Amino acid sequence: MGVLRTLGASRLRRVGEGYALITPAMLVATLFLFIPIALSAYWSMTEYNGLTSPRWVGFDNYTYLLSDPEFTKAFVNTVIFVSLGMTIGPALGLITALLLNEKVPWRGAFRTAYFLPVTTSLVVVAVVWKLLLNQDGVVNWFLSLFGIPGHAWLADSSTALPSVAAASIWQGLGFETVVFLAALQSIPGYLYDAAKVDGAGAWARFRHVTLPGLRPTILFVFVIGIIGSFQVFDQVFVMTQGGPSGATTTIVYDLVQRFRDLDLGKASAVAYLLLMILGAISLFQFWIFERRSR
Amino acid sequence: MRRLAALAAAVAAIAILVTACGGSNSESSSSSGSTGSESDGGGDHSITVWDYYGSATPIKPAVEEFRKLHPDIKVDYQVLDYETIQDKFSVAVSSGSPPDVATLDMTWIPTYASKGLLADISSLSGGELNGAAIEDQYSQGALDSMTYDEKYVTMLYDFDAYALYYRADKLKEKGIAVPENWDEFREAASELAERDSGGKAKKYAFQVLPDTFHYDQFLLQNKGSILNSDWTEAALDSPAGEGALEYFKGFLEDGSGIYWGKDQGDSTGLPGIKDERIGMFLNGPYMMGVLKDGVPEQKGDWKVALAPVGQQEGSYLGGTGLAIPVNAGDTEDAWTFVQFLLQKEQQLAVYTEAGAAPATEEALNSAELNKPDPFFGGEAPFGVFRQALKSATPFPYVRSWTQIDRAVEDGVTSALLGDKSASDALAGSAGRIDELLGQES
Repeated sequence: MGVLRTLGASRLRRVGEGYALITPAMLVATLFLFIPIALSAYWSMTEYNGLTSPRWVGFDNYTYLLSDPEFTKAFVNTVIFVSLGMTIGPALGLITALLLNEKVPWRGAFRTAYFLPVTTSLVVVAVVWKLLLNQDGVVNWFLSLFGIPGHAWLADSSTALPSVAAASIWQGLGFETVVFLAALQSIPGYLYDAAKVDGAGAWARFRHVTLPGLRPTILFVFVIGIIGSFQVFDQVFVMTQGGPSGATTTIVYDLVQRFRDLDLGKASAVAYLLLMILGAISLFQFWIFERRSR
Repeated sequence: MRRLAALAAAVAAIAILVTACGGSNSESSSSSGSTGSESDGGGDHSITVWDYYGSATPIKPAVEEFRKLHPDIKVDYQVLDYETIQDKFSVAVSSGSPPDVATLDMTWIPTYASKGLLADISSLSGGELNGAAIEDQYSQGALDSMTYDEKYVTMLYDFDAYALYYRADKLKEKGIAVPENWDEFREAASELAERDSGGKAKKYAFQVLPDTFHYDQFLLQNKGSILNSDWTEAALDSPAGEGALEYFKGFLEDGSGIYWGKDQGDSTGLPGIKDERIGMFLNGPYMMGVLKDGVPEQKGDWKVALAPVGQQEGSYLGGTGLAIPVNAGDTEDAWTFVQFLLQKEQQLAVYTEAGAAPATEEALNSAELNKPDPFFGGEAPFGVFRQALKSATPFPYVRSWTQIDRAVEDGVTSALLGDKSASDALAGSAGRIDELLGQES
């Protein structure tokens, strides 16, 4: 009996120590994460200006947003931005990683150079790109050297969003490159040797050895990338402020505008709609990955 | 021993966390003023002032003067920038820790006033400012801009109404008369601008800003308006509205205008003024200070004239308002500070420090503001802005004004960029505005 009591007390002590150690982090998470998340969910079902008491409206904010042309435009713009970023970005990142995976001289220096933009503040990147794409900026100057007339990249509603996407792709390229490069280097070399022995050419080796070996990494890049891309804000705020004519207004920019208008109920509803969209996309991605893995 | 150390660390961490949370709560309650007990003289008198003016602010030196005159009122003066103060004000008001006085752009006031976020200055002041009736100290347009629901919700500190800034040296060199009406304006702009091989203006162009302020300038002069008289419906999709937008767009079509969108980064146009891409622009009195600071080498080259008249004189009326949030901690001392800023000496400093236009009649009519200015060729530009103020109209005071502003701007931008015709662009804007106004009723 004494032995059992000793075993129980020891276990209790270990469990107690564990809880004591995680309590501060849980307190912080509860105060600054879980409570605000719960409050925001409540506000999303109210009409609330931050000062007077919230007025319960149920799902009215959600039904309003789903038929609101401003939100619809923001959603479409965001989807276009994500599509551009998550096709061109990972593709370029993979190509760069494949090139860097070869035994090229100064590989370390290239890797550093590609990763530097990732470590740079998004705001700084956006300011620099805004200067580059200005009507009198470097890009138009470069084009003029070849007799090509300049363009108002950020003032033209058809090129403003791709221009913002270009800045984001450039900034994120290094991250994708480094992640893919690490994954490439973890693919066993003997697989390539075996494929060569079987007569597989470069493309066949890429399709049947490289891509399958990169599958978990590709999933990671796309899940993280899509979640991040859907939340684009800094570049839009600095480069175009959502214009011209709402051509670059994204979901998060729309959320901030509603917050600025002290329409906290609808702003919270936008946040939750974004959460649902990202949740659905992430679940779909994991489902595709599971199916392919079987 | 290790377990003891780990436990001790955990307890210490919790203690620090609880102390920090307790500390921040007491700071926020003191800054929110404990429901006005401080203003009753029960404790320290303390006000927080937010100022977005920037480096050439007239408010900071005024704070020093105020502290000498009112040593019992502690002033916590905070500098914020114009681009972010709107967001920070929203956060501060909604979180219960607003400033006691804030400089706010007059175009933001309708949204805040209609949501009941601004203190009732009519009852706070008893209708008097520095011992005289408020009505006797401002023009009618200014009084209208400060009023919501028949009470004053802000006090106009500096005003913004548009006049025509032009490169007098270039007009003289090319023998162009200063335009006085729309036909002359179009002709003068066309003759002044130097174009590239593609017919686009490359020098001395008229600055075309795709925003509601500048479109409204032409709309009002063409006897149009953004909303109808009782602010229940859009009115800009009218022949007057289309005519104004077509006229505005005409500067780009004939190559005499330069499109100056948000991608340029600086709405004042200073980079374009500096490299002489811009030779004419419509803007408010604050640009006098911007020109003097930004392009001192162009002293004597610029002059100011009344904006060329369409069917009638007209201008939008904006500026800076001094606002007291409804949940400010110390509204009485805040009102004392606001009154101080609106005394003649402080109002004159709005011009001498910031180069902007004071709002009170006493300051506007003073000799100090009407002296010849060597930067503007020895002329006294203030008279022009005083004249513009007489026909200036503030934006409508409706709850969804910031969204209506966006709808107008989107429509104007799409027409100026050629994405839509003027009538389609304005029809789109009007539809959206009617939707927004419909939700208010």
